[in-house]
Amino acid sequence: MEKQMCSSTRIERGTTIVDVVGQIDLGNSPSLRKTLLDSLKGADRVAINMIAVKYIDSSGIASLLEVLKEARQSKKRLVLFGLTTAVSQVLQLTRLTGVFEIHENEEQALAA
Amino acid sequence: MNSELAYSGMKDASHKAKANGGVTVSETVPRPRTSFQLRVVMLSDPRFLSVLRAAVGQIGLVYGLTDDSCRGVTLAVDEAVANIIRHAYKNRYDQEIELNCRAGADQLEFTLIDRGEPADPARICAQPLDEVSLSGRGTHLIKATMDEMHYERVPRGNQLRLIKHLSAGNVMSMEADRSGA
Repeated sequence: MEKQMCSSTRIERGTTIVDVVGQIDLGNSPSLRKTLLDSLKGADRVAINMIAVKYIDSSGIASLLEVLKEARQSKKRLVLFGLTTAVSQVLQLTRLTGVFEIHENEEQALAA
Repeated sequence: MNSELAYSGMKDASHKAKANGGVTVSETVPRPRTSFQLRVVMLSDPRFLSVLRAAVGQIGLVYGLTDDSCRGVTLAVDEAVANIIRHAYKNRYDQEIELNCRAGADQLEFTLIDRGEPADPARICAQPLDEVSLSGRGTHLIKATMDEMHYERVPRGNQLRLIKHLSAGNVMSMEADRSGA
């Protein structure tokens, strides 16, 4: 059975990358928010790999937004990459596409 | 309380489906003209949200919704149940939520019933969609993805009806094939 959501962290060229896998919803978005905020504490630049995120709801979007606000307040950089159609659709519906720095893939996210 | 799931209908046994990258997809088979009903009674525990999404998504596929519409309907029902858990039941995970799915030739209808705090209609979609607010996007998503949304107090509690019309634009044409083959 597919695990609902999990994440892991690695460092590439000075950027902390958080690989997120699965479906983000009300049940696990608090856990993701904590993981992302913890990653932000120990890095100047965090990239969230969304390529394996098959679903996200408004609570997941709110978590990403909260981490983005924290990044801005602490003068750090947060980027997203590898957005699936499902994630892009929700960002468009909530009119937040332009709020996040979004890249197509990891290479572009690291180079930006 | 035990979670309960019951279904009825779906006489069209000739409907074909095939696996495509782990997803069951409809081929160029006409969508069912018969009705289908599914009743789910569940606890207000977020762990059940993925079960509901799977069921709603599959109903959408069978009734020929486009990928966008199918994701939208699934998102809407998920957001509605999440709102019940958060606002009506104040994050108590041991309360009862009932979902009735009714599919027909013209529309998909999802009715949710809970016995929690009544919603304040004045606060539904009251928050503007901007980057400042961290919450309040759920009802905006429901409105954006469903054709009709009706909330009312009924003797059993709160009732929310979400309707998606099976009209052109929402459903795939006969020639379309999700497999892309």
